[in-house]
Amino acid sequence: MFRGVEIEHLKKDFLLTRWNGLRRNVSEVSAVADISLSISSGQSVAFIGPNGAGKSTTIKMLTGILHPTAGRVSVMGFIPWRDRRHLAYHIGAVFGQRSQLWYHLPPGDTFELLARVYNIRRSDFERTREALIERFALGPFLDVPVRKLSLGQRMRAEVAASLLHRPKVLFLDEPTIGLDVLARHELRGLIQEWNRQEGLTVFLTSHDAGDIEHVAERVVVINHGRIVLDDQIAALRCRYPGSTLEQIIARIYTSVNERGGPS
Amino acid sequence: MWKSFKNYIGLLIAYTQINLNSQLEYRGAFISEAIGMLINDCFWVGFWLIFFRRFPVLQGWNAKDIVTLWAISAAGFGVAYAVMGNSWYLPGLIVNGQLDLWMLQPRAVLPHLLVGRTLVTAWGDAVFGYLVYLGFVRPDLHHAALFVLLSLSVAMAFVGLGVLTASLTFYLGNGTLLAEQWRFAAITFSTYPESLFTGAVKLLLFTAIPAGFISYIPVRALRNLSLMDAGLAAMGSIGIMAAGAAAFYLGLRRYESGNLISMNG
Amino acid sequence: MNANPITKYTWIGYTAARSNLAYVGEVISRAAFMAVILYIFMRLWTVVYAEAGASRLGGFTIQQMIWYLVLTESIMLSSPRVSMEIDEDVRTGRLSVQLLRPLSYALTRLAQTLGERIVRFAVNLFAGTAVVLILVGPIRPSLSGLIMFTFLLPVAFVVDFLGYFAIGLCAFWLESTAGLMIIYSRFTMLAGGMLMPLEVFPPRLQSIARRLPFSSMVYGPARLFVAGGTDVFRQTLIMQIAGLFLFGGIVLGLQRLAFKRIQNHGG
Repeated sequence: MFRGVEIEHLKKDFLLTRWNGLRRNVSEVSAVADISLSISSGQSVAFIGPNGAGKSTTIKMLTGILHPTAGRVSVMGFIPWRDRRHLAYHIGAVFGQRSQLWYHLPPGDTFELLARVYNIRRSDFERTREALIERFALGPFLDVPVRKLSLGQRMRAEVAASLLHRPKVLFLDEPTIGLDVLARHELRGLIQEWNRQEGLTVFLTSHDAGDIEHVAERVVVINHGRIVLDDQIAALRCRYPGSTLEQIIARIYTSVNERGGPS
Repeated sequence: MWKSFKNYIGLLIAYTQINLNSQLEYRGAFISEAIGMLINDCFWVGFWLIFFRRFPVLQGWNAKDIVTLWAISAAGFGVAYAVMGNSWYLPGLIVNGQLDLWMLQPRAVLPHLLVGRTLVTAWGDAVFGYLVYLGFVRPDLHHAALFVLLSLSVAMAFVGLGVLTASLTFYLGNGTLLAEQWRFAAITFSTYPESLFTGAVKLLLFTAIPAGFISYIPVRALRNLSLMDAGLAAMGSIGIMAAGAAAFYLGLRRYESGNLISMNG
Repeated sequence: MNANPITKYTWIGYTAARSNLAYVGEVISRAAFMAVILYIFMRLWTVVYAEAGASRLGGFTIQQMIWYLVLTESIMLSSPRVSMEIDEDVRTGRLSVQLLRPLSYALTRLAQTLGERIVRFAVNLFAGTAVVLILVGPIRPSLSGLIMFTFLLPVAFVVDFLGYFAIGLCAFWLESTAGLMIIYSRFTMLAGGMLMPLEVFPPRLQSIARRLPFSSMVYGPARLFVAGGTDVFRQTLIMQIAGLFLFGGIVLGLQRLAFKRIQNHGG
């Protein structure tokens, strides 16, 4: 069974309603024009592009929140918007702005709740939780209310929470935003470790080149709803020797914007 | 089927516990707000007692009857929004795109999101409803038992009302105000005696503004100790919940199409 | 430019008023709100008048009764959020700084509150009038009644402001002032005659209510609008002055205690 992510000619249009006082103006907007992508299980992919490029729309279709106008998507053999609930057992998500952790309670309490939500067997839950506590170094603050934690501690707990049910695919949206250098480094290391050791497929969106460099092995650039670049990071480095990844990406963005289309 | 039901009940209990724990982190504020609502309800009953002191009978109703009405409404309201608080906050959730988080989890969206939060003041309503019924009306065992059962039915009606009115916001960009007015109308009508309203308005109160099923029939059932009226009340509550769920899931499809996005100016 | 204090506070009030002249949507939602409660009250009092077989209760015709309720609801619904704002000022520490110039802070808050409140009251009255004209038709208020009302309404707002201000100050000592606010607001509702005029209260409770400042904030102005009466004017004015002294005194006392607390604890 193919356990990765398979996208074929994905397309998403929606109707945008603009209100001008009491008058209504409906226009059709193309958020995703044509995306085809194949990610094998255990790969770690950075999915990047300028704002408005169609990244979050694509992720929403991959997680079953939106359904596409056209095209085919298969995540771990499931069609996301049709088998949303079944798929949910196998995917995890960490979205920068939305937290899963209960703000006034310790992370441990959220973990217990998630065990119930995901129907995790008690023995499995305890084993996974211990592993996460150890590797994410959550021990010291597991019983401290989330509101009292530093952002770095909170993000570690957040990512750990998303892994409790042992998903096969993890979606991360701007996971290191606002973190200091050390916290960022730690978090990237943990994600990378989980990717390598547990075979977790990682789907990352980020504006931070460091995130991309340290977590992903492959980068996909999207703009105007289309893929403009899809390559291994190692290959990119060979093609642009001497440049940092950030410079390479900036170059790609500029050339894409100049040409206004795919390469 | 039964196993799944038990599973969801377990989840409901877990959420109620975690909601309560979360609120108790700020114990003072929680108690202050809950007691504030309890006091508010007491003042309303106080008004009615003053009113009935001056006008002892109103179309066959006396002070005890109006207190019964307030008690069952408050108890039902309290249970509904203390346990399923997000049925109160739902308009905002929809408009702010916060359904996404709930859709990422392996549970039926509606029941799961409803238990995700508690309305703090509802706890005061719940305590008030049961206490004032026991303390002021002093029911016998039959009435007390029926009251508790009916309060659960009323709670279901209130949850259904919240979901139904909130689903309006799937269709109207700025529908939060309208949804809240609609909800407010139903809640307000349900705290006044049924006999005040006749004709077309009465019909309205058993359809679009379902105060009839929220409190009028339950009060009838209590006054007459009628199991048939109780059964009717329960069916009405189920009807409202079904209508609410249908409206919600229909709206959710619109949400999933992304056509919800609307901007001003 | 050195603006003189009167200009400054007037400008603050005007700005607050303008920012509250909200959207068409809010006026409509106010009207919808009023429609629900006024309709229900109309049904209630129609039944009461019918069962009592009377055309007047407490001296009020049923039209006057519903108009009275329009006024009381308009007053109560325009209630300011000032106690929450002051509560917040206390907790964020902004108030501690202001307590060095307490009069300036209080006057600023008062100007903002009055500006806000007058606009909200006007919107409520407008919406309520539209509804009540449909429900029971017009009444004929006396000119003197309207003048007395216009004079006493702002004073009522000031007394109410002082009450809320005192509650907001309690944030220095309480984790939440929401409870106090509810008690105060509901007392105003009940003893102030929001739901029925004092004339219709049972006799003993009526005499108690007349002796409390709440009657001067709600019942007094509303009654004057609907049915005038110089003795009502006199009683209301006296009660308002008493209220100013009572609530004002509490505010001063609390401010002094708060200042001491800041000196000891550093805010």
